[in-house]
Amino acid sequence: MNQQELIVQLQQGDGQAFKKLVDEWQNMVYNTALGIVQNADDADDITQDVFIQVYQSVSSFKGESKFSTWLYRIVITKSLDHLKKKKRKKRFGFMQSLFGNNSDEEIHPEEFNHPGVLMENKERAAELFKALQQLPDKQRIAFTLHRLEAQRHQDIATVMELSVTAVESLIARAKGNLRQILKDYYEKNVA
Amino acid sequence: MNKNEHINKLIDEALSSLDGAERATPKPYLFTRLNARMQKEPENSWDNVLKFISRPAIALAGLCLVITINAMVVSSNYSGQTTTAADEQYVSADEYNTSVAVLSDIENIEP
Repeated sequence: MNQQELIVQLQQGDGQAFKKLVDEWQNMVYNTALGIVQNADDADDITQDVFIQVYQSVSSFKGESKFSTWLYRIVITKSLDHLKKKKRKKRFGFMQSLFGNNSDEEIHPEEFNHPGVLMENKERAAELFKALQQLPDKQRIAFTLHRLEAQRHQDIATVMELSVTAVESLIARAKGNLRQILKDYYEKNVA
Repeated sequence: MNKNEHINKLIDEALSSLDGAERATPKPYLFTRLNARMQKEPENSWDNVLKFISRPAIALAGLCLVITINAMVVSSNYSGQTTTAADEQYVSADEYNTSVAVLSDIENIEP
């Protein structure tokens, strides 16, 4: 069964088609969400949210863009929304404690270790992910799709609805900013 | 190797640390968990209302509204009370006949 047939079956409410779709795309969705939110539990929640939205709104998918493009857009939107919500919670943490909402959700991020990174690169990758948090959203998304998902500039441009030149510029700026952030970090922390 | 060279080496290592990285995979049984979540009964509408009210921005706005209404009620009562006090003064003056007599009262004094 090809992808288009799968989508058509899903649009007809076929549960088996949905299972196939989840099996096929879960790693891509999870890995992208994890790269953006840098927390395994949050990425797992986002992955579920994404597939629920796909199931609920697949009828609106007209096939004008690739399915993967549509899916990436949903993942990115959900992940950024999640980060915004988390920032808001951090900002109103004091108020929440006044109202007795003692959520166990982690507000202060710990060092993040991506499980797919090679063992010998783990330490440097953790520093890179920490630096990534300081980048503006667009630069972070472009860099994450390029480096973690190995997406071509052309595909990133389609997902982000930008020109290829704009994506190249975003990635170049992201690298420049990361270099500066890492430099500041190492100057403080390397003897 | 001097410090700058060492730092540049670390930066290069960090920037290339994602080379060869594999895709992370979610916890097992994602579809089962997803199915369970989709079949879960929708939340009670009161839960949604309570959740909405307990949002910090809404709670804070509600608190400000209550304080503002309180302030308005107190200030309107205060200005109302002064009017009532003045009225009471007239009433008591009337009752004890301490008000200033008018000319017609003086002229019609019975012998």
